[in-house]
Amino acid sequence: MTRRRLALIWLLSLAAAFLSVAYPLYVIWPFRAQGPRELAAALLVLRFRPAITVICAVVAIAALVLYWRLQKRLVWRILAVFGTACVALLAFAARVNIYELMFHHLDHPEFAAADHVKLANDEKVIVVKIGSAARAYPIRSMSYHHVANDVVGQTAIVATY
Amino acid sequence: MAGLRLTFHLAGINNQNFLMRDEETGSYWQQISGVAISGPLKGQHLTLVESDELLFATWKAEEPHGTVLKDVAAFTRDYAPKDWDKEMKRVRTVINFPERGMKARDLILGIQAAGASRAFLYDQVVKEKLVKDRVGAEPVLLVLSADGQSVRAFRDRIPGVHGAPDFYRLAANKPGALFMDASTGGEWNFQGCAVSGSAKGTCLERVPMLKDYWFDWRNYNPTTTIYGR
Repeated sequence: MTRRRLALIWLLSLAAAFLSVAYPLYVIWPFRAQGPRELAAALLVLRFRPAITVICAVVAIAALVLYWRLQKRLVWRILAVFGTACVALLAFAARVNIYELMFHHLDHPEFAAADHVKLANDEKVIVVKIGSAARAYPIRSMSYHHVANDVVGQTAIVATY
Repeated sequence: MAGLRLTFHLAGINNQNFLMRDEETGSYWQQISGVAISGPLKGQHLTLVESDELLFATWKAEEPHGTVLKDVAAFTRDYAPKDWDKEMKRVRTVINFPERGMKARDLILGIQAAGASRAFLYDQVVKEKLVKDRVGAEPVLLVLSADGQSVRAFRDRIPGVHGAPDFYRLAANKPGALFMDASTGGEWNFQGCAVSGSAKGTCLERVPMLKDYWFDWRNYNPTTTIYGR
């Protein structure tokens, strides 16, 4: 295995890891119109990118080890280490969905009796009733959390706004 | 779904309607339709739970023993201000359907029934207070609450009564009654239940209705018609 081939392998793994992270970010951008095909492709990449980037990181590290043995010049060694660190970082970034960090969905929402909450009479609420259980979700808080995983009566629901 | 209780997170955005991801299978779901568009559960539909958007006082009067979502202290400073909907009107959209004079952020009440979809301009419903119309072959009735903002939709047929009722709005708000029908002589409340007349105790069938912006409704209902246009 030559240095050139190892460098190529390493570059390909960096490119694959970068595309895995960047492509969904580019497509699923808040003020960008999305077509159905590119969205489907982006979601597919999103689902498999944790595995893809781990493979890229393993390949990059293996290539780095072999390259280090063959390459005596310090500057190229440092560059190779830096680049491999980037692949490892991308493997970590692939596990992060920025939307899930930004928007704090509610997994265990808490509720109070209608008489005990401080809401103005003209506050808008989304309301459901299942059996005898009636629930209200104020829009001013739901427009921030967007998703509340809840159980109303005996029924699991997800309230969204 | 598939024997699993699913836990959802907001995971992305698709033309300004958000995507959810469930923790259990990693499938992605479109918020407006409740359909899984990617992942192991692709094609599955979540069951829509009947809901309303009401003013708090109106809801509390109907459900005095109901419970309300508590604020999460760590995030209250980021919650929307009261006039957030006025601010949202100024936010640009990435898609637009300027048909029949509609603007992207016109607020509509959308109904899907009998294979058809129809949009009712919210301001128009508020102005008319009681709207009788059809969505496809389905007769519908939209009723404005006494609070002047909350709206519900019902099937424009009285269960057990033959023929089309002739609903009309009461000239003045009467406690507990908003509209009447000529066929049973009954008065009806905002919950769609008769409080007097021969149909007293009968309730109209609710019709699911979505309050949405025009651009979003039209994007997912490409053949929608518009009331009054």
